[in-house]
Amino acid sequence: MSAANVVFLFILTLSVGFFALNVQRLVGYMRLGKADDRTGHPLERLKNLLTIGVAQTKIFRDPIAGAMHATIFWGFMVLTAGTVEILIQGVFPKFSFELFLPHPVFQLYAMSQDVFALLVIGAIGFAFYRRLVLHPRRLDGDNLEHADALIILSMIGGLMVTLLFAGACKYLVDPSAIGPEKFISRALSILIFPVDPQPVALASLFMWMHSLLILVFLNYLPYSKHLHVVTSLINVYLSNTSGPGQKGVMRPMDLEADVEQFGASDVEQLTWKNLLDGYSCTECGRCTSVCPANLTGKTLSPRKIVINTRQRLMEKAPVVTGDRMDFLSASTAFGDGPGAAAALLEHRLLDSFITEEELWACTSCRACVQECPVSIDQLDIINEMRRNLVLTESRFPEEIQPAFESLERNGSPWAFNPGDRAKWADGLDIATMAELMERGERPDVLFWVGCMGSFDDRAKKVTVAFAKILKACDINFAILGQEEHCHGDPARRMGNEYLYQMLAKDTISTLDRYEVKTIVTSCPHCFHQMGNEFPQLGGNYEVIHHSTYIERLLEENRVPLRSEEGQRLTVAYHDSCYLGRYNDVYDAPRETLRRALPVINLVEPPRTKDRGLCCGAGGGRMFMEERQGKRINIERTEELLGTGAETIAVACPFCMTMISDGVTAAHSDVPVLDIAEVVAGQLERQPATV
Amino acid sequence: MKIAVCIKRTPDSESRFRIAPSATTIDEAGLKFDIDDFASYAVEVALQLNEKQGPGETVVYAVGPDSVQETLRKAMSMGADRAVQLKTDAIPYDGLAVAKALASELKAGGYDLILFGKHAFDTSAGVVGTATAELLGIACVTAATKLEIANGRGVARRELEGAAESVEFALPAAVTIDEGIARPRYPSLKGIMAAKKKPLESKPAQLGASRVSVKGMELPPDRPAGRIIGEGAAAVPELIRLLQTEAKVL
Amino acid sequence: MANVLVFAETRGAALRKVALEAVTAARALADATGGGEVHAMVAGPSGVSGAAEQLGKFGADVVIVVEHAALANFDREVVAATLSARAKAGAYRAVVLGFSAQGRDVGPRVAVQLDAPIVTDVTAVHVSGDSLVVKHPAYANKVIITLQITGPMAVVAVRPSAFTAVEQPRAGKAETMAPASDPAASRVVVKEVIEGGKGSIDLGDAPVIVSGGRGLKAAENFKLIEELAAAFGNAAVGATRAVTDDGWRPHSDQIGQTGRQVSPQLYVAVGISGAIQHLAGMRTSRTIVAINKDKEAPIFKVADYGIVGDALEIVPALTKAVREAKAGH
Repeated sequence: MSAANVVFLFILTLSVGFFALNVQRLVGYMRLGKADDRTGHPLERLKNLLTIGVAQTKIFRDPIAGAMHATIFWGFMVLTAGTVEILIQGVFPKFSFELFLPHPVFQLYAMSQDVFALLVIGAIGFAFYRRLVLHPRRLDGDNLEHADALIILSMIGGLMVTLLFAGACKYLVDPSAIGPEKFISRALSILIFPVDPQPVALASLFMWMHSLLILVFLNYLPYSKHLHVVTSLINVYLSNTSGPGQKGVMRPMDLEADVEQFGASDVEQLTWKNLLDGYSCTECGRCTSVCPANLTGKTLSPRKIVINTRQRLMEKAPVVTGDRMDFLSASTAFGDGPGAAAALLEHRLLDSFITEEELWACTSCRACVQECPVSIDQLDIINEMRRNLVLTESRFPEEIQPAFESLERNGSPWAFNPGDRAKWADGLDIATMAELMERGERPDVLFWVGCMGSFDDRAKKVTVAFAKILKACDINFAILGQEEHCHGDPARRMGNEYLYQMLAKDTISTLDRYEVKTIVTSCPHCFHQMGNEFPQLGGNYEVIHHSTYIERLLEENRVPLRSEEGQRLTVAYHDSCYLGRYNDVYDAPRETLRRALPVINLVEPPRTKDRGLCCGAGGGRMFMEERQGKRINIERTEELLGTGAETIAVACPFCMTMISDGVTAAHSDVPVLDIAEVVAGQLERQPATV
Repeated sequence: MKIAVCIKRTPDSESRFRIAPSATTIDEAGLKFDIDDFASYAVEVALQLNEKQGPGETVVYAVGPDSVQETLRKAMSMGADRAVQLKTDAIPYDGLAVAKALASELKAGGYDLILFGKHAFDTSAGVVGTATAELLGIACVTAATKLEIANGRGVARRELEGAAESVEFALPAAVTIDEGIARPRYPSLKGIMAAKKKPLESKPAQLGASRVSVKGMELPPDRPAGRIIGEGAAAVPELIRLLQTEAKVL
Repeated sequence: MANVLVFAETRGAALRKVALEAVTAARALADATGGGEVHAMVAGPSGVSGAAEQLGKFGADVVIVVEHAALANFDREVVAATLSARAKAGAYRAVVLGFSAQGRDVGPRVAVQLDAPIVTDVTAVHVSGDSLVVKHPAYANKVIITLQITGPMAVVAVRPSAFTAVEQPRAGKAETMAPASDPAASRVVVKEVIEGGKGSIDLGDAPVIVSGGRGLKAAENFKLIEELAAAFGNAAVGATRAVTDDGWRPHSDQIGQTGRQVSPQLYVAVGISGAIQHLAGMRTSRTIVAINKDKEAPIFKVADYGIVGDALEIVPALTKAVREAKAGH
């Protein structure tokens, strides 16, 4: 070992040690968060790691930026092998993978280093061009964020350039050291040769520069948004956003716990996973670019929610943990004086960083979660903060109080007489569970009508249409009638977990009393809540959305459809978030339409399926005023009308209201129909009793 | 300030009511009960006054069976400090009898202000508040839609038919609260948890003799089904006639 | 045979309509006891004695005039004390008054001072042996209760407009009486009477609401709604969410789940289809009139009276008709 090797070993140890301390520091911050078990479903997690993480499937949802990023990412994966070799060589100059690898494999490895270094340089060049010339809106940020990105890009570029030039110099010094497979290094030597035909010192200089840059890069990461280089794969593995478990299921909450604080108003009340999300955010802005609230001019930006979470953690955690390594934010906005720490603790995530207005603007459509390339769950943070607002602070838009009160008193968000719930069924000869029970009968399925389907005049028509289909297919079904009431999902989405659990438990006990096994419903919110979230409270049922149910009936040829095909109709189907992004039901409603109308011309708006734009009613927004920006339902309806559709099809009573309002506002007379109405309209004979 | 609020537990106004077989009470099966709307405005007013004016105490009172304890807890979950139940198995229909129970309890309470709802949804009588004040010999304003208290004096606004009056009075006083004065706060879960630990005292109600009794109850005739009376401007005279003679609103 | 004492309320020096209704109710009650006298008390500033003649015309045998300069504004304590003093002195079967803003104040005070039972918001009075039997709509008019009142004297507050004032001339002999308490000692003092009518009426208070929806087609057509409201005289203007969202009307005018929840005596819905969000805010109105071009619109399901057709044609006709009806009233 030469003196240089000793020096290098020293620097290496120092760098790795410093990095390890930083990792420990960041892990320590993360541990301020609440517990959350993410150890289950290892195989599914591995699958996510390989598809979303390694194969970069979500990154490619933006094909251009995706290709750029994937090139850099895969380049990093490949070049990391080379980095290990180089760092070991820094201490033991004789070391080479060649000693272990069969020659052809080593040649392949050697070539990969060259090729990927060049590819990465290309991608970095494009990244500079994009950031400095194209300025995509979703990359908007402050100067600090911008500078950070440029520093990182420069460092990566520098790493690649030094690597290739080191190779080129080595080739001039000793042609046998650089095989023909490293054709790029060899080619570059043409540039070096005129400067120095025997560049021994230059080779060593480039090598040192490269090695030191690696170590600088390593230690810059913990202070940069590019920490995602380290955390994103871990984050993808630990996430629940693309399974395991069920997507979009809100976190269970123990209301019996004797605590003063419900939900989150600051970082310690979030889970460690939310905080890891903060570390993993690359600020790419893809979430915000698909957010219906943000797209229509509201303040809410899911990207900001995650960045704020990290900012607040970085502000507060050093004080709380007594950390001394946090050089960058050591002097905070509060200075270093004795009052600084106290002032800083007065701050909190809510209000100081994230406003109430932002939180209430969310439609819970999951577009942000769907889009995030590193599986961050922005919605989980929003939901926890809404819980705090309602349960701890009783702060919410005043117009939702009637909805809460009515849920409590009348069992529906609207103050309608519970006695009128089954009025739509008057004269239709539809049995209630209680009636069947009395006769000693049991239906095959329970038709859960839902509050909209029971009280809203427009939705009641859908209810009747679906009942008609069930009758025409001779399905043995029943309704709960007056025993049905809201399961509390709107309250849950609006942060009122207490009211939700009260209503949900009550519903479960009714369902269990009738030993209900299978439920079909025409409301995606009821479908998601009862199917996916009831298990948290011990309610386990097979819940089927009517789109899937009708599709199955059609497939089994059980629906007596008219034989004529009718006229060719151009139809645009609008995806419901709770059906689509929450439950991956995209094909059933479309297939239902195709089977019911064989000559249909099904058109898709630009944003569709898992990229579909929310109607604006989710997350309790149905019960709130939309005061800021353009109305979401108008934006969505314009897109749908823009397809030239003669009819808009929906599969959700909330979407029905929002899109119908949008169509009226646009002075259009395009009908908005539920898929059940389309099918019912094609029935061969109208059932005698309906 | 030391404020007492007398509240009542009433069924939800959206309910469809049935008469019990005895024909002297309503059938309570399936009804949701909660703090009466007007009483909840009164609680809100009390809480806001005490929040604005610094340290004080808000005490809620209810006459009735043990089921009123739930209603008292609700008021405490909104923020009232403690509660007193004046226990009786049945609340007499005679407002004066109830007022006597409240007055005998409130007399020694040393309250600056005693608030009531303008009336309760169920009996819709509007007697208890004013009668209690009169029994206590203190000033009373009924159906206030605004209330300000400063330096031991109060100013309230009352709606008259087609006008309004602004009245002034000295404390101690009783005020019955009309709607529109304040939106009652929605109790947080934190408040609900805290209310479980707040003191709730129960003692027998010293009711006066009841001289008003329910002889019978009936449901009003069904509202005639809505009908379309015609098309276009030609239907206007018929509409006017119906509004004058049938609906009697013109 | 028993006499009945009536508080005939005034505003300023003028009798209120409910005063004559109370006299009519008292007349019927006195007659039911076998022909007692009705004594009506008016209290106010000088000049209030002018009401005596009218009270006589509607059935008062005696009119007790309490004139005092300090009674220019209603003084609940003086009125209650004077009524009680008179009632104690006269051995009346009942004290009858209107369940109005004044009656709400005076009735329970008199009941306490006389230690007499009180019933309020009464729509019918009968005598049954030694008891009075009254009808009283409760539970927001959803239940009618029959109450029996025992004891020698009772305070009965009648619901305004429940009794129709009927002319049945009596002597109406005027007597004067001094206030039974010193107005200067009253604990509640009226500082100001704010006359309504001119300014806009709040949606929550208005007995009549005229509301417009998208069926009006354009913001400027809302003036038709305003004119109709003006014709009613006591009406406020409301709107649907669609209309306030579009900025045709301010958000404060919105009636519905996320706006104001109202239940006026009369609700006129013009060009409103009746979306669930709107119905949630006005369904409990006592009488609902709907004007809409689509006869399938859900609003017709909740409306008592519907007219199908173009709002722009019907509303002006309705405005004219309401104006005429009001003028002839």
